[in-house]
Amino acid sequence: MKKTISVIAISAALCAFQASAQDVADLNDLEMAHVAYTADNIDIRYAHMALALSSNPEIHAFANTMISDHTAVNEAALGLLDKLGATAQDNFFSQALNDGAEQVINNFSNLRGVEFDIAYAANELAYHQTVNDLVEHTMIPNIDNDEVRALFQQGLEIFKIHEGHAEMMVKELTE
Amino acid sequence: MTKTITRRGVLVGAAASAAVSSNSLTSANASRPKTHEVRITQFKFEPDVVVVEVGDIIRWSNLDLAPHTATETSFGWDTGEIAKGMSKETVVTEDMGTRYFCAFHPHMKGTITIKL
Repeated sequence: MKKTISVIAISAALCAFQASAQDVADLNDLEMAHVAYTADNIDIRYAHMALALSSNPEIHAFANTMISDHTAVNEAALGLLDKLGATAQDNFFSQALNDGAEQVINNFSNLRGVEFDIAYAANELAYHQTVNDLVEHTMIPNIDNDEVRALFQQGLEIFKIHEGHAEMMVKELTE
Repeated sequence: MTKTITRRGVLVGAAASAAVSSNSLTSANASRPKTHEVRITQFKFEPDVVVVEVGDIIRWSNLDLAPHTATETSFGWDTGEIAKGMSKETVVTEDMGTRYFCAFHPHMKGTITIKL
């Protein structure tokens, strides 16, 4: 029962930004950078929650990878913005992402044990699938700056690995 | 085991042998230890198999944005985190475990073959 609820909450959180993919295409590079930075930070928050609430070593290993990889991407993004003398710009979509994350985190906080592990893994899979799709098909084709685009491409390569890893984790937990 | 030799493979091979010969010049007449370079790029160890002798050094260099490790399958040895642009080395010992992976990205695997 709880599992159903968590899946619904995740879908609701993700629906909010699937519907607005068209508007995301209209964001400028600095707004897209802000979206990417926000998405990274959200995944880092989820990972810290997993470290606190799960006792499964596989979940811990995955969460630690999320923290180190997303931190690395964010550092690279900040380094690039600094080099370009620019600042990421907050926007409606970053805010929608944060609102969605609040819902997911509230939902996570009620779960323990295997229920939490499954919900975390399922959310990681859904989150990476949705964000990767958006980055690949909506954001990258609409980025103007070559260096910013290259960084997004590098990030996408990493996040696709995460997606595969999350997929395996979901399989193992639900078998 | 038949492997097509690509143009890129040949170039990498040439670069590697150039690195080895300059290495042997700097180490004067000592032929050992040899340093074996493993590049970590696009979530792969390249080459994924290194053929070494006891006392040699293996150096992993991370060309990816994401941090990686080279960690023995049963955690016998571990380079620890190798950040972007960094390298870590380990000395080949007789009894070391020869299969390793990246602790952050477990699908990344590599093998060490020790010549006796």
